[in-house]
Amino acid sequence: MDLLIKVVARILETMFLVGIFGSLGVLIVSFVEDVETLFDMEDSSHS
Amino acid sequence: MSSIPSPPTSSSNRVRIVVATSVMLTFISYWRAAAIVLNDLASSAFYACGIAEQAVGKSAPWFIVGVMLFSFTVRAVYVESCSMFVRGGVYKVVKEALGGTLAKLSVSALMFDYVLTGPISGVSAGQYIVGLINEVILTADAHGWIPRAVHHIFHGTPQFDVNWTSVLFALAVTIYFWWENIKGIHESSEKALWVMQITTIMVVVLLGWSAFTLLKNGYQTVPLPSPSNLHFTKESLGFLYHRFPGDSLPRMFGVLGILIAFGHSILAMSGEESLAQVNRELAHPKLKNLKRAALVIALYSFIFTGLTALLAVMIIPDSVRVPVYKDNLIAGLAMFMYGPEILRLVFRGFVVVVGFLILSGAVNTAIIGSNGVLNRVSEDGVLADWFRRPQRKYGTSYRIINLIVGLQIFTIIASRGDVYALGEAYAFGVIWSFAFKGLAMLVLRFKYKGERGWKVPINFRIGGIEIPFGLASVTLVLLAVALMNLFTKSVATVSGVAFSAIFFAIFTLSEIANKKKTARSNKHMNDQFQLLQRDTVERESLSIRRSNILVPVRDYNTLTHLHWTLERIDTREQDVVVMSARISRFGAAAYDLAPDQIFSDYEQTLFTRAVAVAESFGKKVSLLVVPAADVWAAIVQTANNLESSAVVIGVSSKMTPQEQAFNLGRAWEQLPEPKRQFVLQVVPPDGRVDTFRIGPHSPTMKDEDVLLLHRLWLNITREPGLDKLHHNEILREALTRFARDYGARDREQILKDLRRVNSSDTAERDTSQGVSGPIGRREGGEGPPVEHTP
Repeated sequence: MDLLIKVVARILETMFLVGIFGSLGVLIVSFVEDVETLFDMEDSSHS
Repeated sequence: MSSIPSPPTSSSNRVRIVVATSVMLTFISYWRAAAIVLNDLASSAFYACGIAEQAVGKSAPWFIVGVMLFSFTVRAVYVESCSMFVRGGVYKVVKEALGGTLAKLSVSALMFDYVLTGPISGVSAGQYIVGLINEVILTADAHGWIPRAVHHIFHGTPQFDVNWTSVLFALAVTIYFWWENIKGIHESSEKALWVMQITTIMVVVLLGWSAFTLLKNGYQTVPLPSPSNLHFTKESLGFLYHRFPGDSLPRMFGVLGILIAFGHSILAMSGEESLAQVNRELAHPKLKNLKRAALVIALYSFIFTGLTALLAVMIIPDSVRVPVYKDNLIAGLAMFMYGPEILRLVFRGFVVVVGFLILSGAVNTAIIGSNGVLNRVSEDGVLADWFRRPQRKYGTSYRIINLIVGLQIFTIIASRGDVYALGEAYAFGVIWSFAFKGLAMLVLRFKYKGERGWKVPINFRIGGIEIPFGLASVTLVLLAVALMNLFTKSVATVSGVAFSAIFFAIFTLSEIANKKKTARSNKHMNDQFQLLQRDTVERESLSIRRSNILVPVRDYNTLTHLHWTLERIDTREQDVVVMSARISRFGAAAYDLAPDQIFSDYEQTLFTRAVAVAESFGKKVSLLVVPAADVWAAIVQTANNLESSAVVIGVSSKMTPQEQAFNLGRAWEQLPEPKRQFVLQVVPPDGRVDTFRIGPHSPTMKDEDVLLLHRLWLNITREPGLDKLHHNEILREALTRFARDYGARDREQILKDLRRVNSSDTAERDTSQGVSGPIGRREGGEGPPVEHTP
């Protein structure tokens, strides 16, 4: 049982690590678009 | 009259019903959309860090900051889903990708999230309020303002039991909003914006004052989020504690500890789902505005929730932070600012007021949201129709509201005011609905071939197949955290799984039971009604003549106004359109409605009664169903599109005819051009009709007003060079001068005079008799003519 938990723990660790690094990439790439969106806000129409 | 010869007819004996499939919405700016979402999302700043620190130790703020940074990527997932489906919430997306069973499971998790939102927000607001009251009593006692006799009675300084008083407060707030929802309150983005403006003032003061305090007093370091700095408790390790006593397992695997701590902080980003719900109400350009709203939300919550968490640990001393202020951390922050005690206490009061506003707003949002979810799920046939039966007086789905509030009240009492336990359970619903969403979006990258306005970045091609690396990464994190939480949050896992299983069983059993009933009901409907689907409501496409009479109906027990209209109208000359607005309020928007869902069992009964009334007069009516977010907007948009000359409505149980007219007038003001004026008639059961003109119109002038104008004209035209002046030119000049004075120095005096005129006029109106109604006959027994200028 303990072994199973340790295997599951390893799998979850790997998922989390890969996911976090990928998410960091998403954050950096979308940051550029976010800056554009941020500076484009004044042109927007308000309702 | 129009050249179109007759009202719609059908080749069969079935009654034609036009079902408009585009929701009639009043659109909002991205600022307002962001405010609505932040009312939910930013409320977690008041309790998230306190809960996380109890679970993982002093380095918790770094995990809150990490979660808030990660929320930028979850936001990207929501933007992608909303660029695919206008209502891109969990249910829609999971159903499209993974089928009905998993959609029911995901909605069960979402329901758990919604049901828990109310209790955690209510109890947390209570903690802030009771904390302040106790602090004030302590301060008063320190100054010797509490009499000795009181000390004697309470065996010391009187103090409220924080947890149980918070329970009472949460119950009071929940019951208050239960009643408001039973009555069917109207949610406005105006209110959400106002709450966020006040919150922003608090955040600015908080950050500025904190910076000053750090300069003056220095700061405590926040330990880095490394495995060695994590201190898990028996509760925060859940099932793992029994297998690996102490915190040996997380230390054994370094990253695992970080994952566990991340899981204990995830509730800081609860509320993202609201983004999918406000998406459909966003003004053009939708995608661009959605991105802006999402960015505002992510930045705001990062600054508020993330920085507040860091500042709390940097400023509040360790000795009191968790023992005293764990459940009202921002109040604790206010008390340890640099400055005089009275000023700190006043600021704490302000924090409590803001906390009360935003957290009690979240209680309401939870009731509205879960009511919306269950309504839509029941429209999909997976919840018995019994739940959706409208309340007799107010027309709301009171059985669903009762069920939700009943569950919330049970949760509040069972929690005994323990915010930590509530937060742990809450996180279960939050993370599992996100995980389902991420997984479904990943599947849809390969399965969905329709339009997609935007994609979560980092996509590359291998052998012609696009690999969604970014989306897969976000989903991996969500799944890892969701699975980890199953092991570490024992109370949440047991309660969440039990709750979701019960809801899933109810959905599944209801679906089976409903299948037979639906088949029977469909047959009945197909025999009696023919549904014609139209994207929008246009007069020509509906074959309705100009100057028709629009009769909105809601409750099949109150069709007096339809009787009244049909008594007076010759339908060979003028069409009567009976309209039902299918309201899907904020919180229900994540669920697409098919035409047969818009025209549900309830509409079937309603229109069967309406047709029976028309048949009793031997007259024909046109039937129309429109989905809408706001009933007033739906009525004015329909009246405008159909070029109706009059709208006839029944009297409301909640508001006076004047208030009904005011709401309709306000909705008319928001209509885009071109817009047409029409007459509104409100018909109460006793037939004393109130008539209002909606839109700008020539005022009814009294004889004395005409005489005054004429006398002025006589006098002025005697002046040299003014002999050719007309009455209307005098009137225009007088109005121009009035407008100038009103805009400048005499505003107050003018308002004072007008109030006096208004009160004497009201008394006069009450005694007036008779009015020419737009329907074409003078009604001697009608009520007074009331002109309405919104």
